[in-house]
Amino acid sequence: MIVVLLILHGLLAVALLGAITHQALSVVTISPAAQSRWNFVDRFRGVDATAYATPIVVLFAITVVGGALLYPQYRIDVRPALEDTQNQVANGVFEIKEHLAAIGLGLLPAYWLYWRKRNGPETAAPRRYLTWLLAFFVWWSFIVGHVLNDIRGLLP
Amino acid sequence: MNDSRLAIFSIAFGLIYIAAFYYDLALFRYYPEVGQFHFLRNDGLGVVILWYGWIATAALASAAIAFAVPKSVAERLWPGWAWIIPAAVVVGMLIYERRWFVS
Repeated sequence: MIVVLLILHGLLAVALLGAITHQALSVVTISPAAQSRWNFVDRFRGVDATAYATPIVVLFAITVVGGALLYPQYRIDVRPALEDTQNQVANGVFEIKEHLAAIGLGLLPAYWLYWRKRNGPETAAPRRYLTWLLAFFVWWSFIVGHVLNDIRGLLP
Repeated sequence: MNDSRLAIFSIAFGLIYIAAFYYDLALFRYYPEVGQFHFLRNDGLGVVILWYGWIATAALASAAIAFAVPKSVAERLWPGWAWIIPAAVVVGMLIYERRWFVS
């Protein structure tokens, strides 16, 4: 059961990572391509960012809930093993991950508020910076989660 | 909760979460080895998870603040605070968590 939940948590995280990265790049202010041809980055950025907001809120919340359900197993099995091997860095990056997930959960109402369609250019800055903050949280959590999941194979 | 109060909730949440973490103000504690929730500390029940309790503390306190702030004040809130304060909270948290990376 825990393995199924872990895989589901990972798959939801992949979807969230894709969505937030599309949106985070779409709000980077750069001048349009000089030529009419779009490259890969232009196409990656050229999405309807507003359409991503609600799915990101839902995916972030569900992924955090999944992580919260997995957390007891981590606390019982993984963390004591990391402590026994004096692996302070691994515990540290995970502790940061849990703080970022919690702070991100609290940011979702403001993020959703400023991404709603009736908001105009006056809220462009909070929209952009809240998206970048969430993108940082998601990338950190994704990388740390995967490294810690595979840590026994990664360490000598 | 009206629109501006959503931003107040988010601003307050990060601040209260970090305060709950730093001052050990978890609303409740979960002991995973015995599968029990407790409001008070129980050292004989094995390892403890405080994270759920910190989130609960932050969520309840932030919701109370968001509802308590008068509508006129909430509507005058500068939108920039909605990302500046959480970003400052994250920077403060990262500075505090350096303790894991220095010997």
